[in-house]
Amino acid sequence: MVNVIKGVLVECDPAMKQFLLHLDEKSALGRKFIIQDLDENHLFISTDIVDVLQARVDELMDRISFPLHDKDA
Amino acid sequence: MDAVEQAATKEAESSIDLLVIVLDTNPSQQFVRQSPQNLTQVLESIIAFGNAHLMQKAQNQLAVISCSHHSTDFLYPVPGRQVELRQIDGQYEAFSLVEKTVKQQLGNILMNAPRLSSPCESLLAGSMTMALCYISRLQRNVAAGAKMHSRILVVTGSNECASQYMTFMNVFFTAQKLGIVVDTCALDKTLSLLQQGCDITNGQFLKVTQLDGLLQYLLWVFLPAPQMRHKLVLPPPPKVDYRASCFCHRELIDIGYVCSVCLSVFCKYSPICTTCHTIFKTPGPLPIKPKKKKKVEKQM
Amino acid sequence: MADTKFGRYASCSSVNMSLPVQGLTNLECKNLQDYLQSRTPETLEKLYTHPPICLAVYRELPEIARQFIIRILFVDQPVPKAVVSSWGAQRCAKDQTEAASCLTNLNVWRVTAIPGGLAAWELSPTFKKSLRQALLGGGKPWTMTNTVEKDSKPRDISFLDSYAMSRWRCVLHYMVGTGARSSGTTDAEAISPDAVRILLHANLMKRDDRDGITITRQGFQFLLLDTRAQVWHFMLQYLDTCEERGIPLPECLSMLFQLSFSTLGRDYSSEGMSCQMLTFLQHLREFGLVFQRKRKEGRFYPTRLAVNVTNKEEGQVVRTTLTEDVHLQNSGYIVVETNYRIYAYTDSPLQVAVLGLFTELLYRFPNLVVGVLTRDSVRQALRGGITAEQIVSYLEQYAHPNMKLMESAIRSKSCLPPTVVDQIKLWEMERNRFIYTEGVVYNQFLSQNDYLTLRDYALSINVLVWQNERTRTMVVQKNGHDDVKRYWKKYSKIAG
Repeated sequence: MVNVIKGVLVECDPAMKQFLLHLDEKSALGRKFIIQDLDENHLFISTDIVDVLQARVDELMDRISFPLHDKDA
Repeated sequence: MDAVEQAATKEAESSIDLLVIVLDTNPSQQFVRQSPQNLTQVLESIIAFGNAHLMQKAQNQLAVISCSHHSTDFLYPVPGRQVELRQIDGQYEAFSLVEKTVKQQLGNILMNAPRLSSPCESLLAGSMTMALCYISRLQRNVAAGAKMHSRILVVTGSNECASQYMTFMNVFFTAQKLGIVVDTCALDKTLSLLQQGCDITNGQFLKVTQLDGLLQYLLWVFLPAPQMRHKLVLPPPPKVDYRASCFCHRELIDIGYVCSVCLSVFCKYSPICTTCHTIFKTPGPLPIKPKKKKKVEKQM
Repeated sequence: MADTKFGRYASCSSVNMSLPVQGLTNLECKNLQDYLQSRTPETLEKLYTHPPICLAVYRELPEIARQFIIRILFVDQPVPKAVVSSWGAQRCAKDQTEAASCLTNLNVWRVTAIPGGLAAWELSPTFKKSLRQALLGGGKPWTMTNTVEKDSKPRDISFLDSYAMSRWRCVLHYMVGTGARSSGTTDAEAISPDAVRILLHANLMKRDDRDGITITRQGFQFLLLDTRAQVWHFMLQYLDTCEERGIPLPECLSMLFQLSFSTLGRDYSSEGMSCQMLTFLQHLREFGLVFQRKRKEGRFYPTRLAVNVTNKEEGQVVRTTLTEDVHLQNSGYIVVETNYRIYAYTDSPLQVAVLGLFTELLYRFPNLVVGVLTRDSVRQALRGGITAEQIVSYLEQYAHPNMKLMESAIRSKSCLPPTVVDQIKLWEMERNRFIYTEGVVYNQFLSQNDYLTLRDYALSINVLVWQNERTRTMVVQKNGHDDVKRYWKKYSKIAG
């Protein structure tokens, strides 16, 4: 027998993968969303979470970046 | 490595390739004396070849210079506004323009040429100098950011012109310095001076023995731009004769005397250098064998 | 470089087609080769009866392919494959194979057998005939070259340039909607229903129930292209629709290339053109590719837009009636500083609108706009489907002449500050840290054999995305799932 699950394959660097694992563990997006941890660059996640996830990642990137220049200069 | 290759290809695609053809139209060339028809045939091949060069890339440029025993003239392009020309057949109008202009100009020149009593040498070195000047002028006008690669193709059936040795050498070294490739297509003659020039500037030298296949030879050996020649199989370079010609009798020599000041080459010892007027001290009692004797080295 | 970028983007988007986040397709730009390769051999054969098309095709070929063609152009029999491959140096064998397959795909040459059983290359007779004609003469003259009387008021090149740009800007203005709104527009500024139809067909604009016709994201990407690329893309879309209009494609393409091979600043005759070609000419006139005083006049001037169409890069030298080359007067107006500030010397609403796509505009003066490239503004643009490459190339293309004179600009290829270019690219890369592929995971196989069978099948129909033999897990594309499922059912029935 074989098990079949629909979802989305995510390819990313190991650091981002750790971030996703962290989000999953803490249920930061409201629930767990990782279906299967494939290898260090690949995860299989549920389809409906992609939007929220992308927004969350954007938010992270916003947080860790700071303005390069002063607009009032 | 691949990236380098790719960049080179891209660069080659966007650069301007300028080809200046120096065509020897001297009537004392052997193939012309055999039959005047031959000149027409060579001309047709040259025009087709020039157009094939223009066909390679939209930005390619062409100039054709005729070289004779008494003068050097531009056959294409001609200064001033171009002749108004309408297509008469399926030929691309830029190509017809080249064909018409070259033929018309050459016709004028041949009609007005002074009668020749005895065979005369062609002013090849002078024509090549003119080509260099033309190239250098265009090079200056190239827009910022654009790249131009220039080369000169000499097509001649004349004999070796040792009397123009100095001019030739100046042309070759200038070309080498400016990164201009000199190619030579010799019509059934061995020309050691031009061979040297091709060698110095990384050009191709080809001796064509049959006029029939001239166009095919030209397209094979001389059409590919120097930057892409390494990708094709071309005839191997012939052994180059690096003999210099002496300044006193304009003859190619194996061993001679060299002035220690200006490096002029002489076949016979003379106490005063004819070029720079240096007086050579005669060492001791009349020397039978002067010490200035020196084997002529590579490149003079 | 730009091409590969486009290519990569296109492939990403096609995979993610159904995903909400990146589910928008991007503008796909084809060059002449891609365009022709997507035609049928019969169409190609028809196209090759026109010398101008052959000439254009020849120039588009890879350089080795061009050498091959010229060497067999005057040979009247097929040339053995081995002979042709002996022309190229051994170490560039890869280039040769590419060149050969390109020529085959374009139907320029084909394989035949010669006596003795050797495989040989034979140039398509139509192509050969037309190319020889273009090079050496013979045959019929091209359609637009009838003699015309001398123009009493000939138009000079600078007039033609400004005419062409003003016409072309009309199209662009229409796209951003500034054409209609800015006051004082005359009827001449509006664009014809035909042009609108092409924009709609090209998906550069779309019909919206609420606000009529609006620009799409492909449209914005289109605005960022250089003018030459815009014209080329637009004309390809036109050619797509020209058959429906009853204008035959080969003639159109031939005419377009004839124009591109014409001399700037010279007048040509439309005498003897068919009715459809005259319609085509009127369209070209509308987009600014040709200048004609009156609709009925038998004389027209090709403009730089038309002459440039086959050039690979913007701003290349163009054949003119003058002996000296005339370059397009530099239209650069943007200054980019290392502190990410952008000064744009312009009063054109179009240029400001385009700039506003990826910069945060700070001040506006009558002839100057000051903005700054921020992470947010660039990300906004990236979200809109504009690529970093497009932003950079737009800034480069319209860089102020003074930018090009700077020390660093002369040494490097780009005239923009390297920090800014790198940062824009980094901002893009930061968004693309994830690649999503919708799919189905298969795991918990009972036997290695089952797993291998299914995996090999998925691989064979090209739907396998990821697999691991040790954990017996594989991921297939969503659209391949049905096939794989069917195969599995069949397989397990036989096995069971």
